[in-house]
Amino acid sequence: MIATLLISVLIITLIAVVLALLMVIADATVGNYGVVKITINDKKELEVLGGQPLLKALNNEGVFIPSACGGRGSCGLCKVQVLEGGGNYLPTELPWISEEERSDNIRLSCQFKVKNDVAIKIPEELFSVRQFTTTVESIRDLTHDIKEVRLKLEDPPEIEMKAGQFIQFQVPEYELTDEPVYRAYSMASVPSDTNHIELEIRLVPNGICTTYVHKHLKEGDTVMVNGPYGEFFLRDTDRDIICIAGGSGMAPLKSILLDMAEHESPRTARYFFGARTGKDLFLLDEMKELEERMKDFKFIPALSEPQPEDNWTGETGLITDVVKRMAENASEAEAYLCGSPGMIDACVKVLKELGMPEERIYFDKFA
Amino acid sequence: MKQTPGYDAIQRQMAPGVITLEGFLGTDNRKLIDILNADDATVRRAEVTHQQIAERMQYFRDIGLDGLGEFMGVDDHFDVRVDSVRGKLPSPFGGPGMYEKVNTTVVNKRLGREVVYTDLHIHFVRDHGFYEGKGSSYRLEPEDLIAILEVAPAT
Amino acid sequence: MSEFLFPLAVFFAAIFTNNILLTNYLGMCSFLSVSKELETSAGLGIAVTFVLAVTTAINWVVYHFLLVPFQLEYLRFIVFIIVIAAFVQLIEMVIERYSEGLYFALGIFLPLITVNCAILGVSLFMVIREYSFITSFFFGLGSGLGWLLAILAMAGIRQRLRTAKIPPGLEGAGIALVIAGFMAMAFMGFTGMINIS
Repeated sequence: MIATLLISVLIITLIAVVLALLMVIADATVGNYGVVKITINDKKELEVLGGQPLLKALNNEGVFIPSACGGRGSCGLCKVQVLEGGGNYLPTELPWISEEERSDNIRLSCQFKVKNDVAIKIPEELFSVRQFTTTVESIRDLTHDIKEVRLKLEDPPEIEMKAGQFIQFQVPEYELTDEPVYRAYSMASVPSDTNHIELEIRLVPNGICTTYVHKHLKEGDTVMVNGPYGEFFLRDTDRDIICIAGGSGMAPLKSILLDMAEHESPRTARYFFGARTGKDLFLLDEMKELEERMKDFKFIPALSEPQPEDNWTGETGLITDVVKRMAENASEAEAYLCGSPGMIDACVKVLKELGMPEERIYFDKFA
Repeated sequence: MKQTPGYDAIQRQMAPGVITLEGFLGTDNRKLIDILNADDATVRRAEVTHQQIAERMQYFRDIGLDGLGEFMGVDDHFDVRVDSVRGKLPSPFGGPGMYEKVNTTVVNKRLGREVVYTDLHIHFVRDHGFYEGKGSSYRLEPEDLIAILEVAPAT
Repeated sequence: MSEFLFPLAVFFAAIFTNNILLTNYLGMCSFLSVSKELETSAGLGIAVTFVLAVTTAINWVVYHFLLVPFQLEYLRFIVFIIVIAAFVQLIEMVIERYSEGLYFALGIFLPLITVNCAILGVSLFMVIREYSFITSFFFGLGSGLGWLLAILAMAGIRQRLRTAKIPPGLEGAGIALVIAGFMAMAFMGFTGMINIS
């Protein structure tokens, strides 16, 4: 009786122990990727924990790959060329990778997990992307729904950027959210102001970041940003410039125009600013000042629905109509656009009708 | 009904503060799969398909873009306004594509009712038959959409 | 029946005429839940086949070399479950490493293979019917393939069902069970065709 009991316990224990051992061995071999090495552009080497997405591994080591969707595989911006150690494509990557990109081994770094040593290649500019700890120096209202936020850089204290680029603004957890979220905003400050970043943020209903900025952000708060990113900057040519933007789209254009003024650029510039009523206009004094400083710059605001109390004497109508009738020399000029997708599409159409080739029309693609 | 972890992950993406401040499920306590099944049944009883509803939504949105943010008349008894803000949103269902923040307001003057939806919603309806959870301020009741947009049953 | 033919007979019987799912009604829960998508069904079916084939073989060895000599046959329920659980855990780790897409799609249903009664059922049948090692292995493999066949058929049918008009109230689980019933009735026609006791 006792013997049977003991033997049965023994046998079961034996079986359980053998199996448990098997599990431990499996976990240590199959489940564990150990530490892997990432070699970037043949010069930088990182040692990271294996098994995590490439995007995350790089972020943790201070190398920031642009991403608009927070690593969910929805924006396609985080493409990285994996020269060695790639392995098979995941089903979540394939919709984003073209045939040509496949032959170049371009991977979606938020989905591709680093399971062994890899060698990757990223654009050189990304090395200058940094994460900045900043303090809010001032917040002021530009209009009823746009706030100007000026950040002072603490660590690192300086940023190297081109006029027109953008940064990613980190929104910490607040109210109903439970993880940080990133949103991209163009910088309105000039490159020469290396200790500051200025942003123009318009309140969007149901928007996570804009609600945070308009309802919770205060002077003195700490804000994490990273950047600079973006292909939207002034091209180094002699051509005339036509700028079109409305609302918070002014930010990158303000940066570009101020930068031009500082460098005493001789180029002709026109800025067509579209708004609905008088209360949507802002920074009119600064624009006037720029007109005086620069060689040949005109700020042309247009209201589509001027109210009687505005006493508006300027241009009226949709901004596309104003551009159509007032733009000069469009076929030889360059255009810089910033605004909502609908506005940009409409403006591109008008500019092409005026003879401007599409390669000379620049706009921020992240928006 | 039990749903796979794939749907659990999508439901988590729909929570407030992940993609939009309010999220996409409102005060609905049901599992995503049950919400989808219930709305799917409603649509089928009306003898239309999600594709047809999405096509009508797209139709008004595309025509309304020309208004550049103002109301314009469409098909003699509709008023449509399309406005947009910068930025794009990913879909909680995953997959490629970022959706522009384009808001379309369609007013059916004959019925005296209106409906508001975004590009993300057109994708939700067309690709997933998703109309948001009950209690969400952007909840699109399929019957309302069918009536206001005048989605015709398949012949 | 000859020594060589019997395992083969058992193999074919397990797939068609004595289908573990449609004839013995074992393994229904993941069958009903996962059969919505054809590809995931195939993935789960293959995993179940693999687990069935290997655990039936391992359980045969454990039963005949550890339990029977010590007269501990009554422990087989616990011991078989332990072996199955450990093995499924192993499979999970391997799938996670080598096929993330499948791992994500199967999710909770992978560890649920452990409590899939078909797995335990096959091992217990093997004991009741006193199969040899070879026969047991083919029995396990065949049962897995039979389960795979059933779930693929169900997934195919449910895919067609998406465009069909279902009476309200029967949507989802309701119609799935009705279909499973029809399939089981069809397979009942095979009863007695092959003697595998």
